[in-house]
Amino acid sequence: MARCARGAAGGDDVTPIVERIREAAAERRPLRVTSAGTWLSAGHPVDAGDTLSLADHAGIVEYVPGDLTLTARAGTTLSEITAATGANDQWLPLDPWGGDDGTLGATLATATAGPHAHSMGLPRDVVLGVEFVTGTAQVVRAGGRVVKNVAGFDLTRLITGSWGTLGVIVEATVRLRARPQQTRTLVIPAQTTRADLSALAMQLRALPFTPLASELVNARLAAHLELGAHACLLVRVGGNAHSVSAQLDRLRELGVPTDASETVWNTLRTAERGAVASWRWSNLPSEFGETWTAADVATRPLEGGGGAFIHGNPARGVVRVAVMQPKATPAKLAQAASDFHGTIAIEQLPPAAWSLLPPSSRRSGLSRAIREKFDPAGVLNPGIMEHEMGALA
Amino acid sequence: MTAPPVPSATRAPITPALADTLGQIVGRSRVIARSSELLAYSSDGLPGYTKIPSLAVFPGTRAEVVAVVRALAEAKVPFVPRGAGTGLSGGALADGVVLLGLNRLKRIISVDTVNQLAVVEPGVVNTVLTRNVAQYGLHYAPDPSSQAACTIGGNVAENAGGPHCLKYGVTLNHIAAITAVLPDGSITALGNASGETTGYDLVGAFVGSEGCFGVALDVTVRLQRNPQAVRTLLADFTSINAAARSVSAIIARGILPAALEMMDAPTIQAVEASIYAAGYPVDAAAVLLIELDGFEAGLNEDVAAVVAMCTEAGARQVRVARDDAERARLWQGRKKAFGAMGRVARHLVVQDAVVPRTKIPAVLDLIHSISERYRVKVCNVFHAGDGNLHPNIGYNAEDPDESARVHSAMREIMEACIAAGGSITGEHGVGLDKLPYMDQLFTPDTLGAMCALRDVFDPDRRANPGKVVPVHSCREWHAAPAARRAVTT
Repeated sequence: MARCARGAAGGDDVTPIVERIREAAAERRPLRVTSAGTWLSAGHPVDAGDTLSLADHAGIVEYVPGDLTLTARAGTTLSEITAATGANDQWLPLDPWGGDDGTLGATLATATAGPHAHSMGLPRDVVLGVEFVTGTAQVVRAGGRVVKNVAGFDLTRLITGSWGTLGVIVEATVRLRARPQQTRTLVIPAQTTRADLSALAMQLRALPFTPLASELVNARLAAHLELGAHACLLVRVGGNAHSVSAQLDRLRELGVPTDASETVWNTLRTAERGAVASWRWSNLPSEFGETWTAADVATRPLEGGGGAFIHGNPARGVVRVAVMQPKATPAKLAQAASDFHGTIAIEQLPPAAWSLLPPSSRRSGLSRAIREKFDPAGVLNPGIMEHEMGALA
Repeated sequence: MTAPPVPSATRAPITPALADTLGQIVGRSRVIARSSELLAYSSDGLPGYTKIPSLAVFPGTRAEVVAVVRALAEAKVPFVPRGAGTGLSGGALADGVVLLGLNRLKRIISVDTVNQLAVVEPGVVNTVLTRNVAQYGLHYAPDPSSQAACTIGGNVAENAGGPHCLKYGVTLNHIAAITAVLPDGSITALGNASGETTGYDLVGAFVGSEGCFGVALDVTVRLQRNPQAVRTLLADFTSINAAARSVSAIIARGILPAALEMMDAPTIQAVEASIYAAGYPVDAAAVLLIELDGFEAGLNEDVAAVVAMCTEAGARQVRVARDDAERARLWQGRKKAFGAMGRVARHLVVQDAVVPRTKIPAVLDLIHSISERYRVKVCNVFHAGDGNLHPNIGYNAEDPDESARVHSAMREIMEACIAAGGSITGEHGVGLDKLPYMDQLFTPDTLGAMCALRDVFDPDRRANPGKVVPVHSCREWHAAPAARRAVTT
């Protein structure tokens, strides 16, 4: 069977992983599934005594530049994929916060989206197929290696963002992009009043082109990025020379821009290393000013000596907060969030703080039933998804 | 080809009392029980299959849909949700069960032009939505060829595609939220309008579930801003291979066309002989219909680059449409190609498969040799940019010999696509037609996992029974893994 033929020789035997899960399920000994151990997996609480690491299950299995698709084992780091695809002027448009030390498996399992998500899509839009091992030790090969596929029920979307609770991702196929001929990054000063920000979100959405990335950063983060002492909007555009120059002209209508180095995006993504708490606020783009203000106000009493980095994509309506040394309890955060009519996703907190949070009330009966089907013994990352807060009105 | 049997343990007969109950909910005139009238619902867009429902019911409001689904749950009666019935995989056929028609639910509930969202009922026709938001400079991007008739609910069920999905994504990428009634009658909200969700991606699971997970009551779709500028090109080739090479070159270059469509000589000739004649060169081996859109500035440079790549690959001529009228004409030929083939033969199988883009030339060669071996005429008209093939065969379904040859050829074509590392469907769904290939594409454990997911939404397997996943695959999930290990080691 062609589908099941394995790619590169050696190293891709999943038997040890299957056996670990089978034993864990039989003995009801939960596993914490990890890989590189960056915040993507390290921050969340898991009620497990044992660890199943995917870090050694690594390597690119198949890369066909002409198809713009790549298949890699879960433990492959994003930087390895960046290096391989860069040789052909291609890239994987997944750029999670924290940098490229994280792995493909963890990026998909956590569905972490970075600054390029607005133009390039979320992990669910980039992933084409996933091989995973369920909590019943069954190996499932969902989706495929082609860019369009509706064969069968969509287990690929189901497993993406399920934080390892339905199955352990062991391999994935992703869609690549060709690098734009040219790219440029601009910094535009920004006012952060509620009205100004909502207007900015609408201006960005009304542009006759989609910037590759656009991220508003607060003053503290701007200073860290050496972009001055005030909040500003970072915008990246790409295309052919004529297009890029016209896009830059158009962006000048948003404010007086200055050029920034293309490396600022990587600095932005890795700025939060060392942060002990981060969470994400989101609502409709038209509410961006509201969302930013709510996140800002809620964060202030929590900031310790290191302050907080706040950044957000106005066109997506998402605001992210990373706190270096939080000084208040998460109960305060829960209280601050209680008036917010959007969604709050907590990414990381100090270990002791998780237990103080109220458990999510949003877990639907369907989600519980799915978990029961795919991991009836409850051995895969139990507890990891329990703390989302808020609900869109 | 016949459908595998449907599990009968939870089935109950459809009684006159049930018809009465449904009639009380929707009005007697909206329940069809006469077999002569039910014939109208015995097929969808796929020829060669006829399945007669035992009853058809057409609710007109959301409350009626919910009441009907609850009555069916109460009576333990299976049902098949159906939109416009334009599907091409037999997915909307109801074999002796209740057909639940949703095409009367055609309200556009709200349009949020600021956040570019619309909430619509499932029976809203694809192009009607676009027409209604055109005044705001917006459109709904997925554009299946049946878009003038097919419904958003059907598009969600099938995860429908279309030519412009190359750049803008398939239905999945345009659905933010769904309110659905599950087969047991409970109502559930999936996703949210802002698109940023936590928890499992249940919208992702529901889209493309082919009516097996429940019935959408309302769908929150994303609307796309109309591009500032559009250029439509027609490239004319004397070999299919050269056209396929151009496709690869364009994709690899980093220019992402809005659409990149290929038509082969038999398709071109069928179109040009029809009322949809688009001015395609009738002596060409293949043409590419290429559309570039977006920001005006720089678009002509991209057009020039595409023209150069096609020319370098061997195009005889590349024509850029001069105005909207010429653009529309070039597209009409493509969109109506299936209709044009209707002139050539009484029935048409519109096939759907996907191959890696680099395999397009090799697979087209194989399709050609298969068609010669079985003496059938294949017309290829497809979404080349994403490797989504549509090999179509015109034939007379009432001729048993010809039907048998068509089915054998299709089977070999599907097997060739699977062997090339592809998939058996890119946008039409599995339905009934592709069931026999699911075992070749997926392992038993993968099919078992699909059944496990279905069982969460519909434990009784009453919604669109017997479709998508072969029934025999659903029996073994979680079945004594230890015992199976003993057998395999």
